[in-house]
Amino acid sequence: MKMNDLDVFRELLGGVSRRDFLKYFTIMASSMGLPLGVGAKMAEAVTNPKRPSVIWLSAQECTGCTESLLRATHPTLDHLILDLISLDYHETLSTPAGHQAEEARQKAIRDNKGKFVLVVDGSIPVKDGGVYCMIGGKPVLQIVKETAPQAGAIIAIGSCASWGGVPSADPNPTGATPVHEILKGTPVVNIPGCPASPYNFLSTVLYYLTFKKLPELDDQGRPKFAYGRLIHENCERRPHFDAGRFAVAFGDDNHRQGYCLYKLGCKGPETYNNCPSILYGDVGSGSWPVGTGHPCFGCSEKGVGFTAPLHALANIKYLTPNTFFTEAYPGKPETTSNIKALGAATAGVVIGAAGAAMLVGLGKKGNDTEEENKEG
Amino acid sequence: MANHADIKMMTPLTKVFIGIFGFGCVLIIYRLLFGLGAVTNLNDLWPWGLWISFDVLGGVAMAAGGFLIAGTVYILNWKKYKVIVRPAILNAFFGYALAATSITLDIGRPFVIWHPIVMWQINSIMFIVAIHVVLYTSTLATESSPMFFEKFGMQKAYRFVNKIMVPIVIFGVLLSVLHQSSLGAVFLITPSKLSPLWYSSNLPTWFLVSAIMLGLNMVSFETIISSRAFKHKAPKEVLFGLARGSLIVTGVYLAAKIYDVVRLGAIGLAFNGSFTSNMYLLEMVVGVILPIALLSQKPVRTNIDRIFVVNILVMLGVVLNRLNVGMFGLADYISKTGIDYFPSFFEFAVTAAMVAAAVLGFKICAKYLNLFPETGH
Amino acid sequence: MSLNRRDFLKSVAAASGGLLLSKATPSAATMSKELPPEAVGILYDATLCIGCKSCMVNCKVENSKPGGALYTKGMQEPTYEYTNERIWDAPPDLSGKTLNIIKVYMNGNGEVKDRPENGYSFLKQHCLHCISPACASVCPVGALVKDPVNGIVHYNADRCIGCRYCMIGCPFRIPRFEWNSAWPEIRKCQLCRHRMQEGKYAACCEFCPTGASIFGKVVDLRKEAQRRLELKEGSESDFPLQTVDSTNKRTRKVSQYVKHVYGLNEAGGTQYLLLSGVPFDLLGFSPKVTDAHLPDLTWAYIAKIPAVIVGVIVVGTATWAITSRREQNKKDKRE
Repeated sequence: MKMNDLDVFRELLGGVSRRDFLKYFTIMASSMGLPLGVGAKMAEAVTNPKRPSVIWLSAQECTGCTESLLRATHPTLDHLILDLISLDYHETLSTPAGHQAEEARQKAIRDNKGKFVLVVDGSIPVKDGGVYCMIGGKPVLQIVKETAPQAGAIIAIGSCASWGGVPSADPNPTGATPVHEILKGTPVVNIPGCPASPYNFLSTVLYYLTFKKLPELDDQGRPKFAYGRLIHENCERRPHFDAGRFAVAFGDDNHRQGYCLYKLGCKGPETYNNCPSILYGDVGSGSWPVGTGHPCFGCSEKGVGFTAPLHALANIKYLTPNTFFTEAYPGKPETTSNIKALGAATAGVVIGAAGAAMLVGLGKKGNDTEEENKEG
Repeated sequence: MANHADIKMMTPLTKVFIGIFGFGCVLIIYRLLFGLGAVTNLNDLWPWGLWISFDVLGGVAMAAGGFLIAGTVYILNWKKYKVIVRPAILNAFFGYALAATSITLDIGRPFVIWHPIVMWQINSIMFIVAIHVVLYTSTLATESSPMFFEKFGMQKAYRFVNKIMVPIVIFGVLLSVLHQSSLGAVFLITPSKLSPLWYSSNLPTWFLVSAIMLGLNMVSFETIISSRAFKHKAPKEVLFGLARGSLIVTGVYLAAKIYDVVRLGAIGLAFNGSFTSNMYLLEMVVGVILPIALLSQKPVRTNIDRIFVVNILVMLGVVLNRLNVGMFGLADYISKTGIDYFPSFFEFAVTAAMVAAAVLGFKICAKYLNLFPETGH
Repeated sequence: MSLNRRDFLKSVAAASGGLLLSKATPSAATMSKELPPEAVGILYDATLCIGCKSCMVNCKVENSKPGGALYTKGMQEPTYEYTNERIWDAPPDLSGKTLNIIKVYMNGNGEVKDRPENGYSFLKQHCLHCISPACASVCPVGALVKDPVNGIVHYNADRCIGCRYCMIGCPFRIPRFEWNSAWPEIRKCQLCRHRMQEGKYAACCEFCPTGASIFGKVVDLRKEAQRRLELKEGSESDFPLQTVDSTNKRTRKVSQYVKHVYGLNEAGGTQYLLLSGVPFDLLGFSPKVTDAHLPDLTWAYIAKIPAVIVGVIVVGTATWAITSRREQNKKDKRE
């Protein structure tokens, strides 16, 4: 990468220092667990004069994901979204509206066929031919189905797009369906969360731009760098859980002392996300639900958020029994070494003494008997 | 007859023993001040160790000669054995003293060792054991008392004790039978812990029979030892008699043990090459099979040197049996938890001090009391 | 010859002939094999346990209060077993300072709960409060006693001599000893006996967040355990929290159970019952522990003692009489 390219680009950003700029990508890279050098590579990818096209389709959603994305503040993210990538269609953020906007979408699809990133926000209603969400006179179901085959990569952002979310909650009147079920057979990256953590989204996009492939996904299509672990595993209140210290009611002594919120219905033990590690909204430490004293409600986990009652106890999914658990029963087959050594030593003494006695005592050719007999 | 001039008191070996005993006393004070954890390697899964297995189980078994010889002389009236009755009883007294001292140190609260005497709990074998230790130690003291009365010229007391000797001996035999067997019965509560090679509902009987084996050989052993150490002639008819008795008892023991192990279906365990099976085989070969093989030959039975060899074998075997029941037979079970035990240096040192004290005590009595009244001194 | 305990006491009293003043505890002589009328206990369901250790923490706190099983006069704080950094209490096993511990069974990759292969399970280990407790039967001074009414096996330090026979006798490795004390005690769960006097119940059950441990009458607990075994795996059911008769219930999917209630018959039956998804021998319950009442094993020996006493005295005296007469005859002949 040429230095002056970077500088030129820095100017575009309107006064972001070179240092802040590189720092941003370095943080981005490290949040995905990538080597530090990748930060510079990412910077190079986004400073490429031909900005990658992103098309953002909104279905049954609340714009929460967009809102939270706008509040990502590693230097002025709005600039990055607008200037580093070419956000060619986004119902909330686009300047054009109506037919103009629809045209922009069509053009972008044509121009960037097979290369653009398709982001779907919100669940897709399928009931009654998808009439519950129409855009420009077309059901969003149809739009998604038409657009997807031409995209380079598909990202479903938010719990609605990932697994149905709020609209799919019982009795699911619109037949709200997650994107990956609409596009069966096509790889879809799911970034669940309500709203999804913007950094999980940005990291995925930048990864794709940099390496031209999708990050490693789990069996539910979630990037492993963000959804590889249970919230419970990285939670700052975990020591309280391990020590059996729980808040029992909101505002009780234990709650004030920051004890574990499991008994208040925290779903951390069954929800995969990285909230405790990267927090939320960039407003300092403790800025995530559990950090503020509210139990996690499992927004990003299918079958938990919007499904399980808010204060019902979580079913612990996978526990990593830590070193503070003793094995119930080692059931070791072999005899322990010390008692074996004691046995061996005892056996040695017994064999030695018996052997010596027999050698010495039986070795004598019965002289004693004769002597004694004579005397007797 | 106040003093046997030919018994030298301060031999180098004696000095070593005094040293061991002195060191042991220091450790005992340390143990009383700081608790068992400070001195022993015992732990929650190995609550009993060397002291119980060797000092208590072994010490009591070694003391079995006392009641056997006393019974033989006073009840069966086999006067031949009268020459060894005093050393046998004194030996038993020291064996019990060793066991009693050790158990006092081994229990967590030595200063309330008297509790079982007033707080009866008749379901407990340990209660039975405790009562027997107290009663039998006093009985042994009474049985040994004529020597002391003799020494200090207390004629009245001497005559009185001699008069009541027969009931006391019967009482002593009774207590011994119960006590030897009850030490085996202690482990009746451990069917899930003790290896089936040792665990049997007949454990009390085996403890009694093996204690008789050991008692006979112990008496023979120390008669030979003291005849050499104190330079008087060994009473060989007595020794040959003991050897005959030993052959009979050991034979019975072997047959019964084999029957028991087969009955319990544990015979396979004896030959599977594991740690436990090796300890079992060693015990049986050294303590039972070799002695029988040797004693069944008349030239061995009538040769003091060879009898001495057999004495050593049986002593090793039976003491190993007590260690096996008290420690090694539990190893398989406790090893499964991964918790280990090896006696600390202090446990060995205190055990050594106990043995040293018994030997020294015996020696002092031999020097100053008329221990061998009919050997020409 | 075998005797019942009453006869035995009589004959012992006769045999000892007032030789010793005894303070035999009457309760010790009537060791029952029946479940006490008001027997209370705990049902632990390992499939509900999440390993949070709340029971351990609160057991220690509650038992370190006056009357508790861990309480000693003048103690400053509960009997914590700190890690080196004094961060938190992390006991590795039951000990003189810990009456209750959560342990884990892990196999293979340990992914699924309550499965023996490639799974894991928890175990809550503490005193099982046997219906005929070996520890109480072997105690030479009656320091461990089973309450005749509620069946709690409890400990009286004033009687204890520290012989540790209870530790040898217990088939479940429960009683622990204060090794590092010059005046040690045996420590084991006493089912929060001191709290029951205040109308409360076992702390481990009160503070269990998931209903894995529930307190109640043993008869009710047995019924509840049977009910759970009859539930269909995967169906939903209500599980009471804290106590067996609690109205506070939690609806949950039924896990796979090993079709056995541990403690229903083992060692003659216990007042602590366990359910698990993993076979109990993998959790450390020796398959060699049978349903037999352990105190019977030693009683079989003790019951023979009066016969031995009479036998030895009679045979001994008779032998002596015969042999001494023969001896006398010999002497007479010689003369």
